[in-house]
Amino acid sequence: MAAKGVLSMDSYRLAQYSVQVPCYICEEGNSFDAELCRHCHAPLVLAHQAKSAKVAPRMIAALGASGSGKTVYLAMLTDTLSHPRQSLHVVARGAFSITLQQNTVGALQHCRFPEKTPSEPDRWNWIHCQVRQKKKSPPLELIMPDLAGEALAEEIDHPDTFPVIRIFLAKCDGLFIMADAARMSEGSKDQDFFGMKLLSYLSEMKENPKQGWHTKPIAIILSKADECESCFEDPHTFTREHSPGVWHQCEERFTNYKMFATGVAGACAYRHNPRGGRIRVPLRVEPRGIIEPFEWLIHKLT
Amino acid sequence: MSFQPWTWFARSPREPESKPKEQDGSASSNSENNAPAIPRHLAARSVEQLEDTEGLVGDMLCQGRYALLMRHQIAKTLSVELLQQAREALNDAMSVIPQGEVHMTHRQDKEHDVDLQEGELEHVEALLLDRYPVTNIDYLEFVSVGGYEQMGLWDRDVWPAVVDFVDQTGHPGPRHWSNGSFPVKLCDHPVVGVNWYEAAAYGRWAGKRLPSDAEWVKAAAWPISVSGAIPIQRRFPWGDSFDPTRANIWNTGFKTTVSVQQFTEGVSPGSVYGLVGNVWEWTSTNYGTWDNRRFEMSTPFKSLRGGAFDTYFESQADNHFQSGDVPIARKHNIGFRCAVGLAELSPRLTVNGEHNELATAEEVHVATTIAS
Repeated sequence: MAAKGVLSMDSYRLAQYSVQVPCYICEEGNSFDAELCRHCHAPLVLAHQAKSAKVAPRMIAALGASGSGKTVYLAMLTDTLSHPRQSLHVVARGAFSITLQQNTVGALQHCRFPEKTPSEPDRWNWIHCQVRQKKKSPPLELIMPDLAGEALAEEIDHPDTFPVIRIFLAKCDGLFIMADAARMSEGSKDQDFFGMKLLSYLSEMKENPKQGWHTKPIAIILSKADECESCFEDPHTFTREHSPGVWHQCEERFTNYKMFATGVAGACAYRHNPRGGRIRVPLRVEPRGIIEPFEWLIHKLT
Repeated sequence: MSFQPWTWFARSPREPESKPKEQDGSASSNSENNAPAIPRHLAARSVEQLEDTEGLVGDMLCQGRYALLMRHQIAKTLSVELLQQAREALNDAMSVIPQGEVHMTHRQDKEHDVDLQEGELEHVEALLLDRYPVTNIDYLEFVSVGGYEQMGLWDRDVWPAVVDFVDQTGHPGPRHWSNGSFPVKLCDHPVVGVNWYEAAAYGRWAGKRLPSDAEWVKAAAWPISVSGAIPIQRRFPWGDSFDPTRANIWNTGFKTTVSVQQFTEGVSPGSVYGLVGNVWEWTSTNYGTWDNRRFEMSTPFKSLRGGAFDTYFESQADNHFQSGDVPIARKHNIGFRCAVGLAELSPRLTVNGEHNELATAEEVHVATTIAS
């Protein structure tokens, strides 16, 4: 009796393995069927999608201390902009680009904040989307990873601990720098120190001196501003008064920056955690000032 | 619909020129001994006018204080005609919520279905609830008669803080007003930027109070009692599924408050409008009352109900969702509406009501003025 079956053509498979696929972020070679880059852990699907796109994707990073609200901001941004009624809207490219939005929005809907982004780069969520503007064409391809604040802090203090961060920032076209306005208004200096370190790190990057960070657009976002209303009224003055170090660095070393205030939770409370300690929970979700920094950045990029 | 804010505006013009007349000693707010205070615009009138019961009652009706007139001790001093006027004003502006059981639960950690095993059955006495949230024009009456200076209207705990309850120009009033007033186009929008204490003080001045959480849910969810079972309750005042044409939340797309008369399709079975969307509404209950999880708050939060124009999730604007905030929060999306217990009103209205003691200095003042 003759058995029917599919015989894989190993010669073709081997031929594909012999051709390295360059990662879109670090440009190092990877095998054609790898899911993540073995060097920087960025999803290789970005490289495949970039190849199919007519224009090269632009890149924006959201940076900030751990707990400053990067994940919530990026997720709410993509969620609010996924409604085509907006003058600016985004279309996710690939299911992986929706994971961050799905996890975060799901948590917020049930009055929880999402889990902290793990430090391991292979567990970061990446967003690849197409930004469409009503009045302008063509659409802009955009890549935005959700970097972990702890990894970022480690990289700033000990450069090359997380090479993907340095490589990505060198290729980035714009930045969101998140700072926790609620902590700033309480008098905490940690946001100011982190911001100063970050800005100093950026200004010292020498990969491309002609397009250094001193001229690239930087949106400084004061997150959790719902807990200090004055921040919404005048984010510039708020930054000058509560984060003088960041204010001074911006004035001295950067030319293309603007301060914004955002809030996602209308109010927060601490809930007893049955596993010990307490957890901060949003009592409702009412996004404010989410789109404005992105609009400003996109305007600067186009 | 009988509510006409523009008519109210026309009938009760503000009289800023009356303020200096306080100095002639005719009347002023008297916070030192907590004596009944005579509203400033009434003080500007002649003694004859003050003694004129019809004039006083007319003023109070214009100010939306019909509920105060309907209180036992005041109502019994009114003529049938005046009482009828007050009754009509009350019927126009408030809706009867019948007594009964309401199932109070929390939903934060759940999907759309309410867990029927959790929560409590709460009995609610019959009450009257404002058909609409309190508007800017309503609140202006309170501000312009010196409501912020009549300390008898305010919780004693908050007296030292009342001086900070000012608008953008330092005048007493909601946070987002300027020079003690607001843009005319916002006159029939719900008042926002008022904290829980301001809402409670307005309620006392108007002869009303803030509804409790259970009363609010009773009006919105309109429970149908089933013998031996948990009442059947609506998720939204109009039914169980969200409809963006019936309420102003994020998905509706306005991104700001709208007139309280917009979204009439969102009316509850009891003819209460705007319970869901537009602005969160303060209630008299503490946040977390129906929640078996433990919260850690330095100050107890007050409960908010109904969602606002910027509420992102429909599930956070439904009848069963409870949010909260610190009682001194003066936010851009928090307003209120008032209630009054049916039993607190005159038996001439309620047939079998009981006589209560006068509750506020304001009631004492009005009763004695009318009696004299």
